[in-house]
Parts: sequence; structure tokens; C-alpha cells
Amino acid sequence: MAQLSAKCIFQKGVIMMKKKVISLLLTVAVTASLLAGCGGSGAAAGGAASGAADSGAAADAGSGSGGEVEEITWMFWDDLNATEDLITKGYKDVIDRFNKDYEGKYHVTPITTNLEEYYTKLNALVASGETPDVFIVSPGPNLTTYVDPGVAADLTPYLDDEWKNSFSSEAVFAQQTYDGKIYAVPLNIAAACVFYNKEMFEEAGASVPKTWDELIDACKKIKEKGHNPITISAGTAWCLSMLVGYLCDREGVDLAKINAGEEKWNNPKTIDAVNKMVELSEYFQPTAAGDTNDVATAGLYSGDAAILIQGSWAIGQINGENPDFEEKCGVFQFPEIPGGNDPNRVIAKSDSLAMSAKTKHPEAAIALMKYFTDDTAQKYTAEVGGKIPVTKVEYDADKAPAQLADVMDIFTNASSTFGFYNESLISTEAGSTFDDNMVAVYLGEKTPEQAFDDMDAFYAANK
Amino acid sequence: MEKLLKDKKAIAIFVLPAFLLFTFILFIPICQSIYYSFCDYDALTLPKFVGLKNYKNLLIDDVMKTSLKNSVFFLIYSCVTQLIMGLILAGLLTNIKAGRNFFKNVIYLPCVLSSAALGLLWMFIFSPKLGINQILAKYGMEGPLWLMDIKGFITLPMWVIAFVALWQYVGQSMMLYMAQISGISTSLYEASYIDGCSKLQSFRNITLPLIKPMVGTAMSLNAIGSLKFFDLIFNMTEGGPNHKTEVLATHLYTQGFKFFKYGYASAIGTVLLVLCLLMTFLINRAFRTDDM
Repeated sequence: MAQLSAKCIFQKGVIMMKKKVISLLLTVAVTASLLAGCGGSGAAAGGAASGAADSGAAADAGSGSGGEVEEITWMFWDDLNATEDLITKGYKDVIDRFNKDYEGKYHVTPITTNLEEYYTKLNALVASGETPDVFIVSPGPNLTTYVDPGVAADLTPYLDDEWKNSFSSEAVFAQQTYDGKIYAVPLNIAAACVFYNKEMFEEAGASVPKTWDELIDACKKIKEKGHNPITISAGTAWCLSMLVGYLCDREGVDLAKINAGEEKWNNPKTIDAVNKMVELSEYFQPTAAGDTNDVATAGLYSGDAAILIQGSWAIGQINGENPDFEEKCGVFQFPEIPGGNDPNRVIAKSDSLAMSAKTKHPEAAIALMKYFTDDTAQKYTAEVGGKIPVTKVEYDADKAPAQLADVMDIFTNASSTFGFYNESLISTEAGSTFDDNMVAVYLGEKTPEQAFDDMDAFYAANK
Repeated sequence: MEKLLKDKKAIAIFVLPAFLLFTFILFIPICQSIYYSFCDYDALTLPKFVGLKNYKNLLIDDVMKTSLKNSVFFLIYSCVTQLIMGLILAGLLTNIKAGRNFFKNVIYLPCVLSSAALGLLWMFIFSPKLGINQILAKYGMEGPLWLMDIKGFITLPMWVIAFVALWQYVGQSMMLYMAQISGISTSLYEASYIDGCSKLQSFRNITLPLIKPMVGTAMSLNAIGSLKFFDLIFNMTEGGPNHKTEVLATHLYTQGFKFFKYGYASAIGTVLLVLCLLMTFLINRAFRTDDM
């Protein structure tokens, strides 16, 4: 090209060539920017994290302590300073307390992301060998992802009697235990319950339902009064699949056997459960198909609908957004299906902390975890955060949100707990496939039989 | 200047920054992700070579079919509508005297705004509890569930999002066509009017043939842009309800960043790359201008 004289540049052929080259480069550039976006994020996330760690170290040096300080990192899925979430604010207090009490000995620097990017960034850090010393994780397949390759440390040796006995029961470790070894420590528990608008129930003359038929009856009465009986989100698929999870469990579906491949998804009990969901869907708000979780929750506290089936973490949101609703809001346990399974089983979910297996400062990391489960932190969890504490701490029930007492009642009377269905399957993707199939049934795209055949096919392909 | 262009060292120095940038930021990641597309890779453990497994899975993936269908719909829709609307707007704006700059700015404005913000804005407009349906309800009409309907081969939300994308990017096409039209010598038009052409005839016989090369360029940009379309969809529906509005880029995102199947996501990326290259090639073929 360079050897062509200036005149030649104006010749057609060259113009054509140049155009072709330019358009090709353009194509490649534009397409590649997409691909590069994927490849690059790991490095970027790593960079940001090490940046955070640096600034933490700098701040520490500034406070005048010598080189003896053991510096650790703690990774979490919300911004500690910008948040309105009460639980997150409690975590910030814990971090501040820890750094103050252990000044000169240990120092923890939080690495925070938003919830959507949390696991992406965590995985990038793990891949680059910079696993945070302590990180938050959901029990179930998410935790398994870190236990299997040995990223998360076995915490059993560190759980001395004193610490272990402070927990409300051994059962709180059920979802964090693999082969008898505990890999994560729970911080709080949320139980899935049914929240309802007492005024609407009264107006419609409906009573708190104990059984499935009573629930349908209550919905019918509320609908006759011109209200939406149930607000639910199928746009955020796990909300709908949580309902199916409850129905499956009440019907007596044995999830462990399905996961082990001993039973098929397509069986009479799961089909019955999903048919009940379809029966109930007649009483959903008309926009359930696309409403997100937040919109559906707002449906309850703004007085659009009478019933919301949701985890108890919604209490903070409900009371925060509409404080007047607190006294109108009742809670009941998911109803019984007569002839089915034990009706006192409750869906529960905990935030848990895991420790990096490669941490250089296990003592500091364990000390931090103990701060999260000490009385101050657990009291806050119940009184301000509205979640169920994991330890035997005594808290002031009058200070806690009104609904927590009902949730506590349901939780303490629970015969046993089980996880969210989509978090209790063989992988995160299996959970997502389950969610999608349940939404497909709700939307009328699949029959329950087709949906569960597809689940069986997924299980067969992803053993 | 001519002397400088003959100096190979000077050429090398001028080319080097762009060359390095392209190599390290584009070509190496592209090659890497093509390699990953043949691997099982979860970013936690090292990539494991599995041959064509990811591509075989693509063939039986239902969501992949939906996203491919939606991406192709989007491609055709935006190529056709952007061409027509862009040309009409450019033709109109070059012919009006008063307020040309004003309208040009107004129409181009959405292009420079953040897609995330616009996506949210339009999501509110089409939300059943706010926006259009509330206005319709005042007149006793019940609006459809704009972003939630699932009926039809191409669902309503796809049409809605495609419309928003047209609104957002039509300014870009319009600017390109206007630039080309204003480059056409007025003497050509004057001559045509003397010969008795109407405005419409001169547009057809003079403007259209002379802006053909720009049509090719604008359409390539459109095609690539619509194939890798992500932001509006992610902000308006996140691919839902139930993957009905998933396109290739959102599917890639879910597989890569939600399920950590980087190998599989890379395979989707490779399909996207091939599609983009193919479309550019075809469009350039179609709009090849031999006589300029």
C-alpha cells in the first residue's frame, strides 16, 4: 500500500479495498468488544479488588499500627455505605467493631459488589488466586461450587464447643455440612411464610387458612370483594418456584431421591403439586407474568393484593417502604395439603460465611466470623434486621418488627426445614431450569407433564 | 508527506499503537474465547478441552433457538426500519429550512443517552402499573401487557423493544444519510428541476443512487449493532418472561455470568462473531458500488 503513489490512492480499486478493510476491521472491533467484555471482566474485577485491598492497607498504615497487623479481606454482596438494607447496615457495624477492637492486631477490609455481580467477581478472584479470606455464600449448590474444588476451608476444627454451643441448635448447620464437616457458618435465617393483609381478610370475611381448600376459599372470597387475592412474581422466577417448592413438599415429594436419580421428576406427586399451582394462579394479580419480585412485594404493602408468599427478609422491605402496613400485616404458615406430607416443614434460607482454604490468617478470619455471630450482632439481626438469629441470644421482642414474632412462632414450631427448591437441586443451572419450567407451566406453554419430562431430560444430560 | 509515507520506520511507529491495542484488547481475547468455546471452563478450574461438545449443545438448546430467532428478527427489523425511517428523516430534514438543527438534535439525542437509563424509562412507560396502560385505563381501555405478553412467533415485547431501539438509534442512520446527501452537488438537482423533475423524482433518481455506498455502511453498522444488542433488552425484560425475549447477547451473559459456563458462553460468542462477519460480508456484496 505504501508504495502506491498519492495519485493511485484515489483509484477505485484502492477505495474498494480500503472500504473492505475498514468495514472488516469495524466488524471485528464491534464484535470483539462484546467478547472482550467477557474475557476482560476477570482481570478488571481482580484489579478492583486488589485496589480495595491496597487502600485498606494504606488506611491501616495511617492509623499508626506497625507491620504486625494481620490484614484480611471479607467479601459481601451489598455496598456497606450506600445501602438502605438493615441487615447490611448491621454487617457494617460488625466490621467497624472488629476493626476497632482488634486495632493493631487484625484488620479486615470489605470487598463489596452488588448482588448480581457477586459470584462473577468472587469467581474471578478465586481464579486469580486472590480468594477473599472470608466470603458470604448461599448454602446449597452455590456453596458446593466452592467446597468441591477445595476453595472453602473445613471449619469443623475451629468450631470449638463454646462457639458451637452458642448456636440455637445443630440443625442450623444442616445445609453447610458435607460428609460431617462444616464448611460455612450461618449468620441469620429467613423462613418463607405467607404474609397477608388483615383488613382485607376481615372485609371479605375470610379466616386464616390452615388447609389448601381453606386457602382457595379465602382467595375466592377476596376476589368477590374485587381485590387481587394473591400477589406473586413470575417475572422473578424463583418467587413462583418457591410456591411450587412448598406445594411439592406438602405433597410429599422426595427431593433427595430425585436428586440422587432414584426417582423421576415426572411423578404423580410433582404433577399434583404443579396442578395446584395452576389452580391457585387464577387468583394471582393479572400482571404476575412480568412483575418483578419488588413489584409483587409492593402489591401487598400498597394494598393491591391480600396475600404474599415470601421469605421473611421481605419484612424489612415491607415495613421500610410502608410503616403503616406493619400492624395490618399478618403471617401464617403455608397451608397443609390433607393426606400429604408433614405440614410443619418450613422453607428456610441462611446467609453463611465461608473461609478461604488458602488463607494465611485463619485466626483472624475465625475471629471475624465470631463477631458476626456474637450477641451484639445477633440481637441486631432480630431487633432491627427482622431476621431469625442463629444463636441462643435473648432479644427484646417489643423492639423487633411485629411480624417477626409470628415468623419466630412458625419457625420454632417447625418440625424441620428445607431449602428453596431451586437452591436444592444438583446445580445452579438445574435450579434455573426448574424455575423456567414452572413459569412455562404457569404461562400455559407446557403441561406439567412436559415440564417435568424436561427436568428429567436435564438431569439425564447433566449427571 | 510522500517522503514520510515511504519511510518504513515512520509507518511502523504510526501503526504500532493501534496495532498493539487491537492485538491485546481484541485479537488475543477473540482467539482465547474461540479456544474456550472448545472447552469446559468455569473460571474456577483450568479449561478442559472437550472438542465440539459446546457446539453440539447449542443445537439442542431451546433458549438458543429463541435467542437466534429473536436476534434475526431484530436484525431484519432494524435494517429495514432504520433504512426507511433514516432516509425519510434525512430527506425531510435536508429539505426544510426552518428548525433543521433543532429537529436534527432532537432526533439524535437518544443516541447519546445511556441505554440503561432509556431502558428503565421505557420499562416504566410500558409497565402495567404506570405509563401507557394507566392513560388508556382513563379512557376505559385495557392496554396489553406490553413487556409480558408471550403469544405469537415474535412476541409483543420483542416488537416493543425493537420499536424503542429504532427510536433510539434512528438518529445515527439519519445523520449518516444527511452527511451523504449534503455532499451531493446542488447543480445536479437544479439540472433535474430544469428537466421537469418533481422533488420526489429527483430524490429517487439522484439522491438514492448517490447515497448507495452510505446505505451499505449504515446497514453494516445496524446489522452488527442489532446482532450484539443487549442493553435495552437486559434493562427492559432481562430476557423474560421465561426467555421469550432472549437474544444471543443476553443468552451469552446468562450462561457465562450466571451459570459460569464460560466455555458454552464462548461458543455463543463465536456464533455471534461468525454471524456479524457474515452479515457485513453480505451487505457489502449487496451494496458494492463499482462506479463512483
